[in-house]
Amino acid sequence: MIAALRSLGDRLLGRGEASITIPIFDGALKPNQILETAEVVASFDDASDIATDGKTLFVADGAQVLRVAGTERAEVVRFDRPVTALCALPDGGLVVALAGQEIVIKGGAADGRRWVDAGGTPFHAANTIAVRPDGTLAVTDGSNRHDCAHWTHDLMERSATGRLVLLDPRSGDARETARGLEYAFGACASGAETFVSESWRHRVIALGPDGTRRVVLGRLPVYPSRLVAASGGGFWLTAFAARTQLVEFVLRENTFRRRMIKEIAPEHWIAPRLRSGESYLEPMQGAHLRTMGVLKPWAPPRSYGLVIRLSPEGVPQYSLHSRVDGVNHGIVAAAEVAGALYLLAKGPGRLLRIPLADIDKDIAA
Amino acid sequence: MSTPILELRQATKLYGGVPAIDGVDFSLAEGEIHALVGENGAGKSTLTKVMAGVVLLSSGAMLIGGREVMPRTPLEARHLGIAMVFQENSLVPSMTVAQNLFLGQEKFYNRLRGIYIAAQQFLQSLNFDVTPTATVAQLGAAKKQMVEIARAVLHDAKVIIFDEPTASLTPEEKKYFFDLVRDLKKRGVSVIFISHALEEALLIADRITVLRDGRHVVTDDTVNFDRARVIQAMVGRDLSKTLYAERKARVRPPGARVLTIENLRMAPMVKNNSLSVFAGQVTGVFGLVGSGRTETFKIASGILKRDFFHGGEIFLNGKPVRYLTPAPAVRDGIAYITEDRKVEGFFETMSVARNIYMGLLAKLGRRRPFTSTREAESVGRKWVEALNVKAIGQDVKVMELSGGNQQKIVIAKSLVQEPGLIVFDEPTRGVDVGAIAEIHQLIDKLADQGHAIVMISSYLPEIMARSDRILVCRQGKIVEEFSAHEATEEKIMYAAIH
Repeated sequence: MIAALRSLGDRLLGRGEASITIPIFDGALKPNQILETAEVVASFDDASDIATDGKTLFVADGAQVLRVAGTERAEVVRFDRPVTALCALPDGGLVVALAGQEIVIKGGAADGRRWVDAGGTPFHAANTIAVRPDGTLAVTDGSNRHDCAHWTHDLMERSATGRLVLLDPRSGDARETARGLEYAFGACASGAETFVSESWRHRVIALGPDGTRRVVLGRLPVYPSRLVAASGGGFWLTAFAARTQLVEFVLRENTFRRRMIKEIAPEHWIAPRLRSGESYLEPMQGAHLRTMGVLKPWAPPRSYGLVIRLSPEGVPQYSLHSRVDGVNHGIVAAAEVAGALYLLAKGPGRLLRIPLADIDKDIAA
Repeated sequence: MSTPILELRQATKLYGGVPAIDGVDFSLAEGEIHALVGENGAGKSTLTKVMAGVVLLSSGAMLIGGREVMPRTPLEARHLGIAMVFQENSLVPSMTVAQNLFLGQEKFYNRLRGIYIAAQQFLQSLNFDVTPTATVAQLGAAKKQMVEIARAVLHDAKVIIFDEPTASLTPEEKKYFFDLVRDLKKRGVSVIFISHALEEALLIADRITVLRDGRHVVTDDTVNFDRARVIQAMVGRDLSKTLYAERKARVRPPGARVLTIENLRMAPMVKNNSLSVFAGQVTGVFGLVGSGRTETFKIASGILKRDFFHGGEIFLNGKPVRYLTPAPAVRDGIAYITEDRKVEGFFETMSVARNIYMGLLAKLGRRRPFTSTREAESVGRKWVEALNVKAIGQDVKVMELSGGNQQKIVIAKSLVQEPGLIVFDEPTRGVDVGAIAEIHQLIDKLADQGHAIVMISSYLPEIMARSDRILVCRQGKIVEEFSAHEATEEKIMYAAIH
């Protein structure tokens, strides 16, 4: 009763959950154009994830996994369904999620091992696979209502059906360690804990082996996605879109949102996208995106590109951006190979490469 | 040289046996702009207060046009043709601008409309954008200063003493002010100009007199001075290379996010403002007067209230907060060190120790129902020593201290609360170079200790020299952020204006 009254009061006064405020890109998140000036190594039609074993870069593109070295690419393995998550194992094997519904190990000591469910619940939108120090695999299953391609539907329905699953390649055990996550999209081991991105709550949480949860990094101005360990300690956290007040407003207007879902084509919803600017039917976001023929870089973004460098404690150190007037939007994966950071910009389907030394130089400038 | 319009010979003023000025000789020629510079406690304010009839000389003589005089009240000084614009404004807050202008000149029957029209015409003639019908309490610091200046000019004085007149003025307002001073000079009015912004003294003055520790050090034509020589004379050591040295070599990395302000609104000053403050860093906030920077942090400190409907959100260490009064903000570790120290910073008739103790009591609240004189003295002693406050004793009333020492008391009053987030609003306004260096060192030390520091300043070299990151505020919101590496004065000013 009290909670209901508080909620009503919040809606009336525009505070709390109904405040429609978003954090600003400042401090370590201060915008720059580093992602826009990054080298474009390759372009793909349907890339969804990248991974590395420390020496080789693998790219999941549609149903195939490619080995990419410089501008050359070679097919490693092909499946019958699209690969939605990819991970390279230390023993040379690869783990993939097929259509988000099946986890399969190809090569290595556990070759052929597969899982279709965990804790009695089938996988529905498995989007990240990460190896933990003890050899188990951390898998995030974003939603059990919508598949990976329909993540916007999951956001607009304000779903909270994501989960973290631990798989043991040796024994084949599958254990669900957390559920009720608001689109789990990204996991990385940090000591005994596992850091997990919870996209719709704009935060990174740490899940302990005993199921405890703590917020590592909250109130992000973006929708965070995959996490990978960075050389020198810490992590790279990718973000596939930035939050705007307009989308936050729509997320609080249930009647409007229901009508929008029912009556308007998904590509024209007032919702974050991985790429934008392709149609004049796209919603403008609170300001004129284009003035005198120039796209304002600070206009509220419908799509955005961002990678955040986190310290081992999860504190942002600096960030790499592609702003509203850029192209390299929808960053969903990162990997460090041979002194360079590789990033997958899913919006334009580009694989980007930035030498780590250049990043240090740009940030210091 | 013709007879000086104003002269002081061997002027000495003792407070409790301690000389505030000691055997000072000073002369002012007709139509001269004479800058008076010196450190905190050098005796500038005391010297000018003697001229303005605020305090009496203990020994020595004062001459006007060669005739020995001794004004005992400001009214007597005004009759002698001396007017003073005080460092801390002396306007009546509850009265209108026009009423303040004509205060003391009221007739038996006052027609308010007539006063307003006269005030309007007069303010326009000075090019001051101040509404005569506005209540002074509603005005910002810059506009209050304008009214002070206008009042001195209105009194048709032969000698006008300006004590830190430009401290709260924007660059454009300063230009108007300098034009006004030059205009006064043309009309034969003599001006004594006290300023800690040495560039201004070097720019506008005909002669400069330097005081140190209550004694006269040097008087010379401005053309014979440069910044280094003035500083050398003021402090007896060379500070010019270190005071505003750019510190791009060592920029502190951000720590945890301490304060997050999201889409804050308080009509009409703060408009959808968002920013963050991080631990272990000095966040410099620059903006012109009226840009909403002070109001934003006053809201965060519970001094002002945001809009009731959709006023935005404030998070302190990740938790949402909405302070209706400053007390809970103080308890949560937010210290706001005001830009207007006389009005908001201290109790001027209370002692140094009591003022500092008051800060501690504000933090403890109901947990300390009784006060202890011994504790007050011990707390006061500790902070007077820590901040190197130059006071004759802890029992000295704060109003008797110089501007820089008063500022140190205001800072001590906040630091005694052991805050995590400290907002310095114009921390060195009206403070001499020696104390500026000390305050800057203190700010650096606090940031190195992991405190989140916000430094609001209108003085660009200060912002550039001290900040690890610089936020620029314009028309009620942060419009640009610069790292210490990329910031230049031009970039910051461009962001603040355009």
